[in-house]
Amino acid sequence: MTPNAPIPVLVIDDEVQILRLLRHALEADGYDVHEAKTGKLALGEVACLQPQAIVLDLGLPDLDGIEVLRRLREWSQVPVLVLTVRNSENDVIAALNAGADDYLTKPFRARELLARLRAILRRTRAANEVPVVRFGEIEIDLAGHLVRKAGVDLHLSAKEYAVLKMLVLNRGRVVTHRQILREVWGPNAEQNTHYLRAYMAHLRNKLEANPRAPAYLKTESGIGYRLLED
Amino acid sequence: MRAEFIEESVESLDTMKPPAQLSRPPLPPTVPGSGSGSPLPPASVTAQRSMLVAVGPSPHSEQLVRWTGRQSTMLKTPWAAVHVESARPIGAAAQRLVDKHLALARELGAQIIITQDEDAASALVRVAEKGNFAQVIVGQSRRRRWLGRWRRPSLADRLLGMSHGLEVHVVPLDETLPAKSRPLFDIPARSSWHEYALVLSVIIALTVLGMQLPRSYYVQIGLVYLLAINLLSLRVGRGPILTAGIVIALTWDYIFAPPYFEFGIDNLPDLVLFGTYFVVALIAGHSAARLRAQAHNERLREERATALFQFTRALAEAKNLAEAALGAVTQIDDMIGSSSAVAFADENNDLPEPVFHGSLLPNERERAAAIWAFRNRRVNGRFTETETDCAVYFSPLLHEDQAFGVLGVKLLPAKTLSLGQRDLLDAFTQHLALVVERAQLRAAGEREKLLAESEKLHHALLESVSHELRTPLAVIAATSEELVEAKIPGSSDLAAEIHEAALRLNRLVANLLDQTRLESGALRPHLDWCDPQDLINAAVESTRDAFAGRPLEISIPEDMPFVRADFALTEQVLVNLLLNAARHTPLRAPVTITTGIDFSGRRAFFSVADRGPGIPAALRAELFKKFSRGDAAPPGGLGLGLSIVHGFIAAQGGEVIFGDNSGGGAIITCYLPHTAPETPPPE
Repeated sequence: MTPNAPIPVLVIDDEVQILRLLRHALEADGYDVHEAKTGKLALGEVACLQPQAIVLDLGLPDLDGIEVLRRLREWSQVPVLVLTVRNSENDVIAALNAGADDYLTKPFRARELLARLRAILRRTRAANEVPVVRFGEIEIDLAGHLVRKAGVDLHLSAKEYAVLKMLVLNRGRVVTHRQILREVWGPNAEQNTHYLRAYMAHLRNKLEANPRAPAYLKTESGIGYRLLED
Repeated sequence: MRAEFIEESVESLDTMKPPAQLSRPPLPPTVPGSGSGSPLPPASVTAQRSMLVAVGPSPHSEQLVRWTGRQSTMLKTPWAAVHVESARPIGAAAQRLVDKHLALARELGAQIIITQDEDAASALVRVAEKGNFAQVIVGQSRRRRWLGRWRRPSLADRLLGMSHGLEVHVVPLDETLPAKSRPLFDIPARSSWHEYALVLSVIIALTVLGMQLPRSYYVQIGLVYLLAINLLSLRVGRGPILTAGIVIALTWDYIFAPPYFEFGIDNLPDLVLFGTYFVVALIAGHSAARLRAQAHNERLREERATALFQFTRALAEAKNLAEAALGAVTQIDDMIGSSSAVAFADENNDLPEPVFHGSLLPNERERAAAIWAFRNRRVNGRFTETETDCAVYFSPLLHEDQAFGVLGVKLLPAKTLSLGQRDLLDAFTQHLALVVERAQLRAAGEREKLLAESEKLHHALLESVSHELRTPLAVIAATSEELVEAKIPGSSDLAAEIHEAALRLNRLVANLLDQTRLESGALRPHLDWCDPQDLINAAVESTRDAFAGRPLEISIPEDMPFVRADFALTEQVLVNLLLNAARHTPLRAPVTITTGIDFSGRRAFFSVADRGPGIPAALRAELFKKFSRGDAAPPGGLGLGLSIVHGFIAAQGGEVIFGDNSGGGAIITCYLPHTAPETPPPE
C-alpha cells in the first residue's frame, strides 16, 4: 500500500547508523524521510514539516524520549512509533501511556518497522470506519455488531465484544492493558489485569483456530495485546 | 498507658457549696430498704459509647473503677476517670487514696482527667460534654441515707437534674466495705504550731495594749481585733484563724465588754459585735484556706509546666538518641529525686538486650521487668499491680500503641510516686517515644534516599551501556538481514552468518546486562497476572530458531489458572531454560515444557525437561553460580543462563530445583508463589 505522493516521516534518533538504516528502509517503501538528532530540534521540525508520522528513539541525548512525546502531544496528534531496547517494558508502557501509538524493539526487522508504520498511519486515514474487518476465517461487522467465524455467527458477551472491538479498531497496533481495562471496565479497574486475561482467553477460544497458539490475538510481553492482520 | 492530663481553670470559686459529694463517704445507714440505684443498661445499649467514672477518696471508688474498667473492656469503648478537686484541702490520707484510685484506673486503660470545681455534678457534666462522653458512672449506697430527705440530693440525682442527653449510671455499692469516716474539721497539716504561736502572740499583744486604754474604748478595741483577724487570715491557715476567732471573741467579752471580767453581754450592740467575731473569723478562715489551696495548686501546675518545658528543651537540644536519653534522665532525676534510665528499641522495634542510658543500672531481674513492660506495653514494677516486688518503676515509651523503648525510675524505698509525678513521667515517656520515632523515621528516610540514589545511578549506567552495545548490534543485524533478503549470489550465505552472529552477540549482551541488573540489586519485579500459555508462547517464539527440527512438547493443564509473575522476567527464565536444554542435548532430542499448580495449591511451576545426558555430578553444587559451565558443554556461552534463571525466580519470591528426568535427561523446575486470582464479576 505504497502511497502515490511520498508521505513525510520524521525520524528522531541520535545514532547516525540507525538513522541511515531507517532512511534506507523507509525510502525504499516510498516515504519522504526527514531527520532530527535531538529532542528539542525534533519538536521544531514537527512544527514546520508537519510530518504524517514520527519514528522516535526513546534514548535521546538531550531530552528523555517520553518528555518529547509529552510535549508533542500537547499540541499534535501525529502518529508516533517508538524505538526501544529489550528489557524496558516500563519505558514502553510509559511511552504508550504518554501518547505513543506503537513501539518496536531493537534489533528490529525492516519488514516489521514498515508494517507497524502502516498500521499507525491508518489511524489517521479514516480506515477505522471500514464497516467490516476480516482476518483468517473471522469476519467482524462493526456496524451490525456481528462476529462470524467461517460464515457462522458467534455469540460474544458484551465485554468480550468491547475488548475485541477495541483491538479491531486498533488492528496492527499494540493496545495496552490499561487502555483496554479503562475503556471496557472503567478507570477503577486498571489493576485488574486478570479480568482482561480471562476475557482474552474466552476470545481466543471462540475466534482462534488453535487457541493455544493464537495467530491473530497476540500477547505483547507485559505490555498489552495486538490484533495481527493477514 | 494512654493517660492524658487535662487541666481546667478553676471555675465557680465564688460559690460556697459544701464539698463535692464524691469525696464524702457514705453515711451510716439506718433505714434498710430498696436500693436507689437504677438497673444497668444491657451491653448492647452501651456499645461504642465512651464512659466517664467519677473517682474520689471513698473506698468505694476502687470498686467503681474496676467495674467501669471491666465494662469498657467488654464493650471495647474508651473510658476516663475523673477526679474533681475542690479548693478545700482533703487531707494527705484522702489524697493518697485518690492517687491510688486514679493510678488503678490508668493501669486499667483509662484516660485520667483532673478538674477543679466546687460542685462535682457540674464538673462531671462539663467534662462529659467537652470530651464527648456519653455515659457517666457514679456510685451510690444501696441503703437510704440518714436524714435523706433533708440533705442535699445525691450526686446521681443532681447529675440527672442537670445533664441533657447524658446517660447517668448509678452503680449500687457494696456496703460491706469499711467506710472510713472523715474528721469533721479537717485541719490541714500545713498549719504548724508556729502559726498558732503567731496568732496567740498577736492576741496577747493586742489585749495588753487594749488594757492600757480607757474602758469606754471597748468598741474600738473590738474593731482592732477584727482587723487583726482579717490580717492574720492572710498569713495563717484555717485552724489557727478559727482558734483566733474564738479566743478573741471570748477575750473581748471577758476583759473589755461590760460586765467586765465576766462572760456574758448585757446589751444588744455588744452581742452583735460578739457574733460578728465568730462569723468574720469563719469567713476569713475559709477564704484564706481556699486561697492557699488555690495557690498551692497553681504552684504545682507551674512546676509541671516548667518541668515539661525544660524536658522538651533538653530533648530538642540533644543531637542523638543517647544524648536525648541522658537529658531526659537528668531532668527526671532532678525533678523527683530518683535514679532512672532509658533503653531504646532497636531498628526492628524489639528490645532483646536493653542498653540503659542514665543514672540507674538495673539488675537482671529488673531488666526482665523492663522487657516485660516493653513487650506488653504496660507499666511494670514498683507502684504498679504487676511485679510489685521489683524496686524500679518501668514505663514503656508509647506512641500510637507502639513501644519505642522503656523508662525505668527508682525511688528511695521511703518515697512514693505521687499522681502528679506519675502524670509527668507519662508525659515524658510520650515525648521520648516521639523523639525515638522521629529519629527512626529520619534514619529510614536517609537509607531510602541513599538506596534510591544508587538505584538511579545503576539504572542510568545500565541504560547507557545497553544503548551503546545494542545500537551497533541492531545496525549489524538489520543490515545483514537486508543483505540476506537481497539474495545477492555468493554473499547471501555470508550475510546470513553475520546475521546469526549478531543475534547471538545480542543475546550474550542481554544476559550480561541481566546479570548486572541482578547483582546491582536494581531488579524490581513488577508482578501482574500472567497467562502461563502466553508466557510459554512468547518463550517458544523467541527460541524458534534454536528449536528448528527438534521436537518441543508443551503441556499445560486445561484448568491452568493465571499466575502472578513479572511477565518479562519469567519469559526470559523460560527462554534461558529452553536454550539451555537445546544447547546441552543432542540435536533431535525432545524437550518438554510443563506448567501447573503443585499439590499444595500454593505454588505454580514451570519445568523444562530434556532427554540429554543429565546434569553432571561435578556441576550440581554450582549449577546456579555465574560463569559455571560444564566441561562437556559445547563451546560458546558464558555460563550465565541458569544463574539468571535462579536470580529472576528468586527476585519473584520463588525457587528453582533441578533433578534427573525419569527415563534419562535433566529437569529444571521453577516454583512461584501462587494464589488463585478472583474471577471477574459476571456481566
